[in-house]
Order: sequence, then C-alpha cells, then structure tokens
Amino acid sequence: MAEDPTRKQGETPPEAMAGPAKSTSPGPKDDPQAPADNQTAWADASPAGQVSEAADRDDTEARAALELAEAARVPVVEPAHDQTGLAIIDPGWVHTGYWGPLDDSRHPAIIALRRAFGDAIEEVTFFRDEVTVRVSTPPLADIVTFLRDHDALRYRLLSDLTAVDMLRLRTTPRFDVVVTVYSISNRQRLRLKTGLLDGQTCPSLTGVHSGAGWLEREAFDMFGIIFDGHTDLRRMLLAEDWDEGHPLRKDYPIRGYKQYVQPGFESPTPRVRDYGRT
Amino acid sequence: MSSTMSDAPTTGTLEVTDEVQISETERQLVLNMGPQHPSTHGVLRVVLTLEGETIIKTDPIIGYLHRGVEKIGETRRYSQFTPWTDRTDYLAAPLNNLGYIMAVEKLCGIMAPERAQYWRVIMGELSRIASHLVWLGTHALDIGALSMSLYCFREREMILDIFEKFCGARLTTNMMEIGGFSRPNPDGIVAMIEDFLTIFPERQQEYVDLLSANPIWLARTRGVGIIEPQDAIDWSLTGACLRGSGVNYDIRKAQPYLIYDRIDFEVPLGTHGDVYDRYLVRMEEMRQALRIIRQCLDQVPTDGPLMLNDSNYVIPPHDTVLRTAEDMQRHFVWVIKGFDAPKGEVYMAIEHSKGELGHYIVSDGSPVPYRLRIRTPDFVNLQVLPHMARGSMLADVVALIGTIDIVLGSVDR
Amino acid sequence: MGLIEDRFEKNVLVSSVDYVFNWARRSSLWWLQFGLACCAIEMISASMPRYDLSERFGMLYRASPRQADLMIVAGTVTKKMAPVVRTLYDQMADPKWVLSMGSCANVGGPFDTYAVVQGVDQVVPVDVYVPGCPPLPEGLYYGILELQNKVIKYETFARKYGQDEAELERDRDRMSAQAAVVGTDAVITSQTTGFGVPTDNSIRR
Repeated sequence: MAEDPTRKQGETPPEAMAGPAKSTSPGPKDDPQAPADNQTAWADASPAGQVSEAADRDDTEARAALELAEAARVPVVEPAHDQTGLAIIDPGWVHTGYWGPLDDSRHPAIIALRRAFGDAIEEVTFFRDEVTVRVSTPPLADIVTFLRDHDALRYRLLSDLTAVDMLRLRTTPRFDVVVTVYSISNRQRLRLKTGLLDGQTCPSLTGVHSGAGWLEREAFDMFGIIFDGHTDLRRMLLAEDWDEGHPLRKDYPIRGYKQYVQPGFESPTPRVRDYGRT
Repeated sequence: MSSTMSDAPTTGTLEVTDEVQISETERQLVLNMGPQHPSTHGVLRVVLTLEGETIIKTDPIIGYLHRGVEKIGETRRYSQFTPWTDRTDYLAAPLNNLGYIMAVEKLCGIMAPERAQYWRVIMGELSRIASHLVWLGTHALDIGALSMSLYCFREREMILDIFEKFCGARLTTNMMEIGGFSRPNPDGIVAMIEDFLTIFPERQQEYVDLLSANPIWLARTRGVGIIEPQDAIDWSLTGACLRGSGVNYDIRKAQPYLIYDRIDFEVPLGTHGDVYDRYLVRMEEMRQALRIIRQCLDQVPTDGPLMLNDSNYVIPPHDTVLRTAEDMQRHFVWVIKGFDAPKGEVYMAIEHSKGELGHYIVSDGSPVPYRLRIRTPDFVNLQVLPHMARGSMLADVVALIGTIDIVLGSVDR
Repeated sequence: MGLIEDRFEKNVLVSSVDYVFNWARRSSLWWLQFGLACCAIEMISASMPRYDLSERFGMLYRASPRQADLMIVAGTVTKKMAPVVRTLYDQMADPKWVLSMGSCANVGGPFDTYAVVQGVDQVVPVDVYVPGCPPLPEGLYYGILELQNKVIKYETFARKYGQDEAELERDRDRMSAQAAVVGTDAVITSQTTGFGVPTDNSIRR
C-alpha cells in the first residue's frame, strides 16, 4: 500500500470496474453472482491473476517447478512415523500439496528464493505438509517483497505474522519471527522464519503488506520486538501505560507481577473481604 | 468536554485533545467512541478525528477484552485448552473448537473418522449461520432496523437448541474433541436439524424482504466503505470482507479440509466491495451453509465409529474404560498427564465465519504446547477500518464497524 | 396493644412511601447496555424474543449510564477495562445496583492471567452474583428476581434497624419466595457488599 501505488493501478480487475450495474434493481434476487464453476474461476476471479507480465524475470525453472507442483497431488515423501511408535501419520495430513512439494529441490518458491537471495536462505524444514524457510533477518522485507511480486509465485496475502520466544528451546537467538504468506492464485502457503536476538530489531513488513501493521504491533506488545520502520509501534492489547513487560515472553509469569489496584486506592482489594462490623 | 475527559480515569496515556483550530473557519474535533458504546459490538474504542462530519483519521483502540488466552494455551495440556477456544469467538464456538482441534490433530498426525468429520462440518456450518445471524441482527440494529435483531435471534435460538441437544451447552459448546466425538449422537438430533433446514429458508426470505429493498438500508450500505480488491489483499483481509471485494479466497475451496471436497457448494463473491455487497455475500453464505448441511445429512454414514481408536492421542472410549484395565490405565494417563505430542510446528487454517482462523502450534514434545498462536480473522480484518473510514461520514462508522463483523473476544483474545 | 406494639416505630408514612418508590424502582429496572464478553451475548439473548427479559420485568436497556439503575457486568473485566467500568458506575445516578453475571465477573473465571481483574467486586460493589460460564438466560432471570427482592428492601429497614436486620428480613422473604418457586435449578449466591453482614446462604435445590 505504502510502497508503490503505481503497481496497484495497473492491475485493477474487471470485476472492480464493473460499476453500479446492478444497483438499479434491488430486491431479493439481487444476490452476488457466484461463478458457475469455482474450481476454474480461481485464477480469473483473483486480482492476483491480473498481474501484468511486464516484469519478465528469468524464472523458467521456477515456473516449471510450479507446473510440476500443480500436477502433483501425489505423495512426494514417504509418510513419517509417529515418535510414539504407536500410530502412523495419517497421509491426509502429509500429501495435501497445500504448501508445495515437500522437497526443497522441487519447491518453486525455494528454488526462486535460493537463486535470488543465495545465502540468506539458511534452512528449509518440512513437517507434515508444511514448508518452513528460515531466512536471515536483514533481507526479510526484501524476501517478502520478492515473494509478493514474483510473477509465478504471487504470495500476495500476508496470512500471519507472529513471534515465538525460543528461550527454553535453544540458547540463541532468542526470538523467532514467523511470517506466513499465502498465494491466492496458486493456493499455496509458505512460512518464513527468522531468528532474532533480544533487543535486535526486525525489518518491518508494513511497507510490503499494510496488513502487517497490527500484527507487528501485537508482536511488539507481547514480545517486545522492535520492528524497524513501523511508524505506529504502540502498545495495543495492553494498556498504553503498561509497565510490566511483555507477557508472552517465556520468563513472564502467567499471573503477571501486580494485582489490579483501583485508582485512588493504595492496595488491591483483598479477594476475601473482611465483613466485620464497622 | 475537556473537563469531563480529564476527570475521567483514562486507561493509558492517550491524550484526547479536544479541538484543533486549523484556520479561522476550520477546526478538527477529536471524538471518542466507546469502549462502552452500543454499536461497537463489545468494548471496541475508536478515536475519531473529525472535520465537520467528515472523518479524517480513525484510531481503533482494542485490548479491552485482552484476557491472555495465548498465554493460557502455553500452560494447559492440549486436550484441556478447548474451552478457551470457545471463549475467544463466542458467536461461533464450534468453529473455533474445530480450528484448534484440527491443528492438534495435524500436529499429532491423526484424522477423525469419516462420520465424525461429517458431523463436524454440520455443526460448523450451523454455527456459521448462527454467527451470521448475530452479525445481521446487530448490524441492522446499528443502522436502524431494530426488528431485524428480534427475528435473527429468534432463528438463532433454534440453532442453539441443536447445540444444546448435541453437546449440552448453548453458547460455549466445547463440542469438538481430539479424534472425533466421544459420545454417541443424541436421539432426534437429525430431526431437529431437518426442522431447521425446513424452516430457515423462508425465515431468511423474510430478512431479505425486510432489508434488501429497504430504502434506508440501501442508502446506508450502498457505496459505503468500499474496499478495492488490491487493498483487500494488501490489508490481509479474509472472509466476507475479502470476498465482498471479489477476491475468491475461501479455504473450504482453496485448501479443503475435512470432507469439504466432497460437498457441492459455491462461494459468493461481491462486485463493488461495499457494505451492501458484504451483506449479500454473508446472506448467500448462509444459503450455501444450508446446502452443505443438507448434503452432509444425506451423505453421513448412519453407523460407524465417531471416535478414532487405537491412538495415544485420543481419550479411550467411555464404555471400555470401566471394563478393561488397559483402557482404564490409558484413560488415567490421558487425563492426568496428557500425551506427548510430536515435536514440530503446524499452522492449520480453517474458514471461520469471519475469515481465516489459523492456529499455529509450536510443540517441543511435551504435553503442553510450547507456543499457541491464534490468528483470528477479525483482529486482522479490523485494521482496515481506518482505511475504509477515511473521508466518510461520521454516521457511517457504525455501518463500517458492523460490516467487518468483529467479536471483541476474538479480536483481543 | 400487643398487635400494634412497635408498629409505629417504623414510621408508617415514610416506610410506605419508601415501599411505593421501591416498588416502582423494582418494576422498572433499566439496565446499562454494557456488554463485555460472552455473557453479553446471553444477556442479549435473554432480552430477545425467546426469553423476553425486557418486557416481562419492565426492564429496558439504556445506552447512557445517566438514566440507568442497574449495571449488569456481563463478562470479563480486564485491567484495561476496569477504570472504564468504574467510571460508568460513578456516572450512574443513585440508587444503583450492580449485578455480576458470569464466572469472569464474579471471580475471574477461567482467566487467571496477567490481564484480568479477578472479580468485578474489586472495582464496584456488587449486589447479586450469577454464576455460570455463561449463565443461561434462566439464571439471569433468577439473579434479577433476587435483585428485585433486594430493591424492594432498599433502605426501608436499614434506616431504622440497621443493615443486619434488613438482611435477615430479606432472607426470610427469599426463603418464602424460594418455597414458591418450583423446578428451578439455579444456584444463586447472594452477598451484600460494602457494609453489613455476609449472607453466605447459597440456596441449592
């Protein structure tokens, strides 16, 4: 939104320009026209399908891999076994293809990212059907921009942005910032992760997706992660004068540090009242 | 105004300045709306900067219902946490249960039996209708159609009766369980749903008759709060807010879960992206939900297991717990200690009545989630309010808040 | 003189006027439209056609605290919301009553966390507690009937004989009312707040 408005003007889909065609005959039948066949209408109905082909990148390999992934609802990995040894992972959770092929040499996004960013792509992990790409922190915004603007990948919907305090799982870095992006036209999801030291700033994604604004504010509120470039980084879920730290950190007690004290009183009201005569 | 504002104890240090004199003839007024306001659907607070009656800046302030649900999730075992998911979005509690339970099932790699999946879909779609009914009633109430809320809540009670019959609770159902349903379906539940399926279409036609051609309704909703499709994607909207702008993203179609790939239904799309289109989209979603329930009732196996057997992750069946020692031990361990979930992380998104509801669970191999993130749809959807409200009239704010379909428990968690 | 002994001590005129006022107050309790969380939905349900709280008890929701008699605290009171609740309470005109609806407002409910006030009685004095998570509309009914019993006693006895006697009288009334109610499962704990004796008399049927 904030980044370059010209990109948006060039790709207004025809539905948005339809004008008030149906505004003259209100009535019970004035219902939205669902496309007759949803399965085929996907790419057409989505504005993501209207991305112009002007920026022609050298991504034939990624395109080929993408076609491969489209064709493949077939198992690409063997079903893993449960750690308990009791049950086998249900293949319905593994072979969905919702996150792309479970093979980092065939996953189109990973191929494209590796080509474009090289060493910034640190690690790729697979769990169930999910693909997690661990990237280094400084180019995070560039990577998300790349995924958004890539002609074939089109990860244009920021699905989620959150953080995890890894205090008890590893020594350093302390935080993981987790970004989940979704491609409406390809129906693919992808998760990006980046490690963050305590006190280190994370590049803000508000310039890439406007929807990141509140999600980053929430991560700041709950974890104390500073997002570099966020213009409105305030307390959000907690009161603005909250001075007891960031609650979702692992070293924060669930009941907090202080009881509620009513303004004008010095101590909190005791839970069990003394009902003595006064 | 200044004296009352300064006297009142404020939460936080936000300065609500009264008036800013821009020039001799122009001035800006900062208006505080909420958190106790009948049309903010709970405890939303909006600080509006006005120039005359035109809104130039909107600052939604949330968190008045922040209860620390995610923190609670890090301290409770997997099977214990379901009641809190009811209370994040209390208008569609079964769908919230479903999202969480499916995330846990995905983490554990188990899948509920087919019959249980059908019943999950039935209950989920019923709660989608119930949630939309509350939305329609309150939204119309805000705009001025008081009687709509009476009608909508009347039909909603039918759904709540079905829930009460099915699981024993009206509102906070705690309905879904890991692995399916551990109790048999109550007698007569199908007949109740059939009743509802018979009655509801004509009742919904009443709503349409009352609203769709109502000149006040049209004047208040047509062309108000337009979101262009690019902006809708840019602001990460999901659900009817996104589809009202014409973007075809419904997780039930895009990434089908449960048995949605066997069901024939359609995803309504808006064309103009205004309040009225989102109203139409949600009305059509209710009709499609009826279609889904109808097909599920036709397809659901009448017998067969409702609960997954032979897994460490599910509660052992009630009838064998008291008869066999093994199941009693399993039951004891399951209840007292829980189960060790596999290490890993999952993100499970389902189509909630308000959009994409995602549960992101990081597991460290212990019976307690290491991190439980709830990506609620209306939290993300609500941040488009300043974008929508910019330049619109003060009276439109209630329509704009209503059209996003927020539940503050879900926004603040 | 045994029959009318001590009867004039209460000052017939004043007590009757009090009774009339209290009867009017009891019969038209306007509650502050003020929903916090899940219980608010049940509160709305109770005022909607199936349960019809408004019409049956002469109640009406009122969006402004200035014209409200009753505050139904329906839902979780967070630390961020508590000053607002107090402000609303202070803005209500006397006489005013508070009904705490649901476990969250009573004791914090399932949310024993950093953000939640553990009971709204830390913020405002509460007259009637209605348990449940959320309470059924029938439970809210019962709480309101209890509150009406309390309203009708407002200051009539307490002025002369003190709050203790008023409470005892109220309990006697309630026991007789309880005997008349058949087939309710509601469990109501009622307490006075601020002053007076504790009345820890949960009635279970």
